[in-house]
Amino acid sequence: MRRLNLGTAVAGGLVVGYLAWYLAHHFLQTDKASTSDQVTLITSAGWALGFLIGIGAFHGPLTWLSGRDQSHEDETFLAGKGQGVGRYFRFTTDHKVVGIQYLVITMVLLAVGGTLAMMIRTNLITPHSGFLSPQTYNSVVGLHGLTMILATIIMVTGPFGNFIVPLMIGARDMAFPRLNALSLWLLVALVPVLFSAAFMGGIPTGWSGYAPLSDQAPPGMDAYLMAIILFALSSAIAGANITTTILTMRARGMTWNRTPIFVWGVMASVGLAIPAFPMFMSSMVLLGVDRTVGGQFYVASGGGNPWLYSNLFWLMGHPEVYVIVLPAVVALMELTPVFSRKPLFNYNAAVLGIVGIVGLSIMVWAHHMYASGWAPALNGPFMLTTELISIPTGVIFLVILGTMWRGRIWTTLPMMATYAMLWNFIIGGVTGIYVSDVPADYALHGSMFVTAHFHYTLMGAGLTGAIGALAYWFPKMTGRMLERGPGLVSFWLVQIGFNVTFLGMFAVGLAGQPRRVVHYDPAFGVGNTVSSIGAYVIGLGMLVLLYAVVVSWRHGEVAPANPWGAKTLEWTVPNPIPLENFEVLPVVVADPYGYGEGDVPGLVPAPGVPVPREPQPAEVGATGDGPDPLAAAGGPLTGDDASQGTGRELQ
Amino acid sequence: MTTPQPFGVRARLWSRRPEVRGIFLIWAVLTALLCAFAFVPSRIMGPAASPTMDAVKSTMTVFTIAAAPVAAFVWAVALYSLLRWRHRGSGPPEDARPSMRSNRPATAVWLVVSSVLCVFLLVWGLAEMQSVSRASAAQPLVVDVTGQQWVWTFSYPAQGKVESDQLYLPVNRPVVFHVTSNDVIHSFWVVQMGIKVDANPGMTTTTNVTPNKLGTFDVRCAELCGLLHADMETTVHVVDASAFRSWVVENGGHV
Amino acid sequence: MQLRRAAVSLAAVVGGAAAVLAITAFSLSGHGPNASPLAATTVGTASSPVGTLSHATLALATYPDSMAGEHGASGGAHPSWVSYGPSTNLHVPAHALVTVTIRQYDSGAAITNPWFAQAHGTVGGTMTVDGKETKAIDPEHVGHTWTVHAAPGNQDPLFVSVPLMAVADNAPTDAATGYPTQPHVITFSFVTHGPGTYVWNCEYPCGDGYYAKFGGPMGTMGYMSGSLTVG
Repeated sequence: MRRLNLGTAVAGGLVVGYLAWYLAHHFLQTDKASTSDQVTLITSAGWALGFLIGIGAFHGPLTWLSGRDQSHEDETFLAGKGQGVGRYFRFTTDHKVVGIQYLVITMVLLAVGGTLAMMIRTNLITPHSGFLSPQTYNSVVGLHGLTMILATIIMVTGPFGNFIVPLMIGARDMAFPRLNALSLWLLVALVPVLFSAAFMGGIPTGWSGYAPLSDQAPPGMDAYLMAIILFALSSAIAGANITTTILTMRARGMTWNRTPIFVWGVMASVGLAIPAFPMFMSSMVLLGVDRTVGGQFYVASGGGNPWLYSNLFWLMGHPEVYVIVLPAVVALMELTPVFSRKPLFNYNAAVLGIVGIVGLSIMVWAHHMYASGWAPALNGPFMLTTELISIPTGVIFLVILGTMWRGRIWTTLPMMATYAMLWNFIIGGVTGIYVSDVPADYALHGSMFVTAHFHYTLMGAGLTGAIGALAYWFPKMTGRMLERGPGLVSFWLVQIGFNVTFLGMFAVGLAGQPRRVVHYDPAFGVGNTVSSIGAYVIGLGMLVLLYAVVVSWRHGEVAPANPWGAKTLEWTVPNPIPLENFEVLPVVVADPYGYGEGDVPGLVPAPGVPVPREPQPAEVGATGDGPDPLAAAGGPLTGDDASQGTGRELQ
Repeated sequence: MTTPQPFGVRARLWSRRPEVRGIFLIWAVLTALLCAFAFVPSRIMGPAASPTMDAVKSTMTVFTIAAAPVAAFVWAVALYSLLRWRHRGSGPPEDARPSMRSNRPATAVWLVVSSVLCVFLLVWGLAEMQSVSRASAAQPLVVDVTGQQWVWTFSYPAQGKVESDQLYLPVNRPVVFHVTSNDVIHSFWVVQMGIKVDANPGMTTTTNVTPNKLGTFDVRCAELCGLLHADMETTVHVVDASAFRSWVVENGGHV
Repeated sequence: MQLRRAAVSLAAVVGGAAAVLAITAFSLSGHGPNASPLAATTVGTASSPVGTLSHATLALATYPDSMAGEHGASGGAHPSWVSYGPSTNLHVPAHALVTVTIRQYDSGAAITNPWFAQAHGTVGGTMTVDGKETKAIDPEHVGHTWTVHAAPGNQDPLFVSVPLMAVADNAPTDAATGYPTQPHVITFSFVTHGPGTYVWNCEYPCGDGYYAKFGGPMGTMGYMSGSLTVG
């Protein structure tokens, strides 16, 4: 176990993958086209299995099977104690390590997906550029889509859900630390599988993989579907872990209406992913059966139905949009009170808004299928549920605006992301109501307008929110401040480039340019050229952001424990954060938004921070054998009456 | 605690507050700008070739106008907060006072406004759906549309064995399209007429339209269908009734 | 410090650009444009329905594998895929009468859409099959089609579709190549208008082993699909 790391994982993956390829190649003798599909699937499954063996994912269960359990030394080794940088390349269970690993892999995926986007925009800069051939273009579009979908799904709940949430709720680690590491390494294992698709004929289907086009596709499609199956496993494990952690491990006194809103957002996101991704996984299992043994699930001439795939896909696809957007927007909601120095406006409405979006988002999937011809009688009802989402979404805007109202707006990088989100998400939302309208959708569906619309939500709100969250929690995660200068340059480049790119794309979409076309009518030339120039500006801005992150991480100004003066628990732990986070588990007596409510400091530093302080009764209270901490806090602070809390937190 | 002043007095005092006035001003300007902009999307969509497209274009305009005050309000508050309440400094500012947890009237007004808008969108959409589908009422011309990788073919079952790679339609006569596919999913899109329906293998879907403008228009495929998806385009010729008859006869059909 | 920052930023930009270039180079090397364009030979003038035009000829063939086309004698990555030859990247002059001769070496069966068993867009709506003039062939015995259609744009529309009669399954074959000794020879003419970029593909489902027989050689440029440049 102690010698296993990323190197042995890759070696294990290659060995088992090769073995699987060899056996499959030599023992499967059926007709030629589907044999290569079977071989591809078996090989990629072998790679994933070998990779997980090589990283040591099965060490725990195997020792347990042999009648022993892991010793205390094993556990602390697994948690990465005293291993320096090496722990980032191992099967490490510490949630802080997993959070950083998620952050890095998100950045890698964004970089690859962004490069693919640059290729798409370069190809579209003139009507018939010929930069990419049609099948390369189709594959690049599909890989860009899926890479970015994976990156944006994990970009908030991965890094911040793992690193910040346990700190925020006052826990020492996640509920299932080994599952946490497993979900991360499953994700790492699927990345090469996904990109191997490019070397096996590519995927001609776009990321949505519509059947029966996917039944017809080259073996790249098998790599694609195996990557999605692995991702669904990873996200199910991560989702179960994060929800269990939030449900059971919140600090004493952290009742539901004292729980920071970001925790709600993360739980909504991963909770929504739990029912959503199995849909995608089962649709891909059926596709695998279709492709390898002639299952005919999606083949009309064989008794199957392509609409089965579209329904399964969108049953995942629409919740997935909120899996991406919700935690990002809620992260901005979390930091708005900090930089407005005011309590979160109408906490209850914020929670209801999140819950409302979650509830409605599983009932709107067929608005992606208005024009498919499937059950036209349902178009009206789905228009209703879709337009209803505008109400809880509006509540989230109200909460942010109400928090800003008469606040003291400290325009740091995270707060600027909130402003950018308010601009972008309004445009994404308003263009969303056009396409929610059935006749308007008949005109706009499948055009560049839709592409621009969902980029405004997923990128304009989602990615902007994630960048805000990164700037906000960077000092806690790395112990250094994110440099403001390059951060600002990147912010303006990305936001201006983004709006130029996608406003141009709205125009060509309205004028009638279909999505996913390798060349187009010269009538759309100007809009596309503008879009491509904007895209290059985004690309430049993201490179500057990468520079800012790398330089700040290595040489940035050392951050104090609580640089923003925030009141949530993660800011009470010292930098660098001790392995078990809290020496003494904190006890919470109010919600973390008590800005301007009395002179009581909202926050008491954790042990180990050299700040003069008075002894706190809770230090004994938390162990359970001292005086009641609630009584010690000296007031009739009942848990449900957060609006009258004095904003104190004890530990 | 003094007795609360009557509502009228409080409303007047509230409306005199500088932030209320400032935000109102910005909101009014932004709303006016957005309402002026509301006519832009429908202009970009180009001239309509059917009542369906006219309905879609007016929907774009009306929805933009309906959304304008909301969007303007969000941006007005954001902009004003940035102009008036901005803290410049390297450290956290003092906490804002008074500390405000919630505001019941503001929440109620917000919920009522967004619900009313939502109901308006829904009613508008349902009425529009009704008007668009009524087009097929009278004696329609039936056209069978077949998508296959990567060409469209059109046949006219009531006109004999007429089949073509380009679509010919008589002006001002309702048309019903029966759309299907020989292989993968395509999407039959007549751009300037604002209609679209997928061509699914093994299934027939329908859509209808009444072309009301002479000229040539575009048919495009709107669902990624493989290698030459971008080239799966053809032309619609909307001609007068006599020209349509002679085209049918020329191609071996009967009227 | 400043120097180090400059170095890191330079490395970030250079690394990003290198990644873009590497991926681009990879993608172009794998599926790039067809290697060798095939230009029609101009052979003087000829009369056409629209008057006297310059006349060009183009000779193509279809094979049951990839050994004789543009993929080289080894057959390239997929030697068993059916293919057009000698190239799929075709160039013809604008405002000209183009006469195409296609030698069909491949067998076939019934076509899914019988409309493509007829000649469309040729001069007179006809073609000659082994010297006999006809407007259509039996839809039960189609080998391939050669179907040109417009890429999007404001160029002149061009639609030409000609079915290629299948060689019988039991036809005698040449011992050296394995191809039938007697291919069907299909000849037809069409008139080009202004310059433009078009695509052509086969509408007879011949990608055996794939759904709807439209994958593999049908879904990859350089086998049963290609480009036609006018001008």
